[in-house]
Amino acid sequence: MALLHAWRTARVTPLGELHTPPRMTAVLLRLTVQVVLVASLWHGLYAHTGTTAGMDRDQAVTYAVLAVLASRLRELDQYAGRDTVLQHMHFGTIVYWYLRPLPPQRYHALRALGEQLYGFTWALGGYVVCLAAGVVQPPGSAAVAGVFALSLLLGQLVLYHVMLVLDQLCFWTVRNNAAMLILVFAQNLLSGVYAPLWFFPDWFVTMSAFLPFQATLSVPLSLYIGRIPLSDAAGQLAVQAAWVLLLFLFTRFLWRRAARRVMSQGG
Amino acid sequence: MSGSIDVRGLSRTFHTTVRRPGFTGALRSLVNPERVAKQAVCDISFDVAPGELLALLGPNGAGKSTTIKVLTGILTPTSGTARVAGVVPYEERERNARNIGAVFGQRTQLWWDLPVRESFAILRDIYEVPKAEHAARLKEFDDLLDLSSFWDTRVRHLSLGQRVRSDLAAALLHDPQVVFLDEPTIGMDVVVKEQVREFLRHQVEQRGRTVLLTTHDMTEVERLAERVVLINHGRLVLDGSLDEIRRRFGSTWQVRATLADAHTEVQPLPGIEVLRHEGARVVFGPASCEGADAPTVHQALKAVIERYEVTDIAIDEADLEDVMRAAYVHAEAA
Repeated sequence: MALLHAWRTARVTPLGELHTPPRMTAVLLRLTVQVVLVASLWHGLYAHTGTTAGMDRDQAVTYAVLAVLASRLRELDQYAGRDTVLQHMHFGTIVYWYLRPLPPQRYHALRALGEQLYGFTWALGGYVVCLAAGVVQPPGSAAVAGVFALSLLLGQLVLYHVMLVLDQLCFWTVRNNAAMLILVFAQNLLSGVYAPLWFFPDWFVTMSAFLPFQATLSVPLSLYIGRIPLSDAAGQLAVQAAWVLLLFLFTRFLWRRAARRVMSQGG
Repeated sequence: MSGSIDVRGLSRTFHTTVRRPGFTGALRSLVNPERVAKQAVCDISFDVAPGELLALLGPNGAGKSTTIKVLTGILTPTSGTARVAGVVPYEERERNARNIGAVFGQRTQLWWDLPVRESFAILRDIYEVPKAEHAARLKEFDDLLDLSSFWDTRVRHLSLGQRVRSDLAAALLHDPQVVFLDEPTIGMDVVVKEQVREFLRHQVEQRGRTVLLTTHDMTEVERLAERVVLINHGRLVLDGSLDEIRRRFGSTWQVRATLADAHTEVQPLPGIEVLRHEGARVVFGPASCEGADAPTVHQALKAVIERYEVTDIAIDEADLEDVMRAAYVHAEAA
């Protein structure tokens, strides 16, 4: 029964998307345009350069395209589905999260799992097409592929918890729009979505090392393209796991505090 | 006790920041915020027996929703205790959740992008309801609420009436002993309102569910509630049957009689006074000094007919809306 409710809860987003074909078409179009533009940009940037920031052209293009695909993992139109914590706080429907025999933290995690698995199928589909078209290079070896998969999983766990902190903020501030704008920019910049962190000055890279963002994307993608050698993988995976643990404990603490602050509009 | 609600000395205080007016005031609030305590519910005690429908009434901001939120386990009281079906709701939220169902006005718990039936299936699995039981209950609800005509429609495309009916069904699919309804029929048309009332009556009379209802619709109260608890400014003002409330606040009836003989000398009757007398037409009303002991309109009618020979007689009785208005005004003055 527990598995059944987990499955039902996790599939809410994919099912909602399947019921809304225009949204899927928009995702397909956006993803295609983004991949084409990003690949063209990095091809152009490397037109007269052999190796920059420790990466050759194929590595850079592969990194950039994978970053675009990976960003699909948690970029769904939750707002249209009226299922963000922000909206539940605004409409007062957050109360229902506390009226079910399913703890809100587990419900939130299951919903996010479903979203990420759904996003993953898009990313995987895009990856297969890009690989077949020669836009991205395959991983250097089976070991690299395995370490990349593990690192990507840890990275997604870090990302989930970072986004969760933003959601939990709503319990104190009701709105989180400003924080969300800052976080999305910081996440894209510091995780290497806009450009690989290897292109930034040393002080920037050092600063990023103390934040969780590079653990979400930069580390797994750098492992994939070989910019981080396999010999350094264990240390990187350990840092990612440490971030997961730290953020898990922090968000668990926040859930407990949030339960005392369930407020809704009116009454 | 199974399906009962027991509230003793319940209080809940909220702490809010006062926003001072004007630009300077806003700056001062930013630098030196002033926190004030607001008592939403103050020392309330009442109980609801299993299978009883109780209307929790009061003007806006009286503390009705806060009381319901404590009883559903969403809020923890500042002091006092509450038990719902034998469970302290704010201490055992998950256990309490299996015993209760709730609908909060127009706030839907259904998933916006999914057809209604999908939402029901999610709730079925969350509450671990066996499939056969779920199907049987869904059929029962469909017969009463006509759900099948729209349950394959996505929630975002439902009308308000359809959504509230779906929410009612969603709240009761796991067969809860106690149901909390916070203004469930607000904004609905009369036909759907009647359908919802019929559904609620069925749930109380046939299924034996305990229902705590808040509403501003007095027709609803009149048709559904056996007992009423009135709160104002967070305090319990009155706890009694509708008849009791009518007796206490609704003595605004008038008996209009046309006497057979226009020259009859008309005298006041016990507890009844003559309000107007023009020829053969006489208007009687409750004696102002009698208060809660004034006779009911039916007692007055009987007394007038027994005492005088009349050719025509009619009564004007204050409806429940007037009675409650009088009760609110009385509570305000107190």
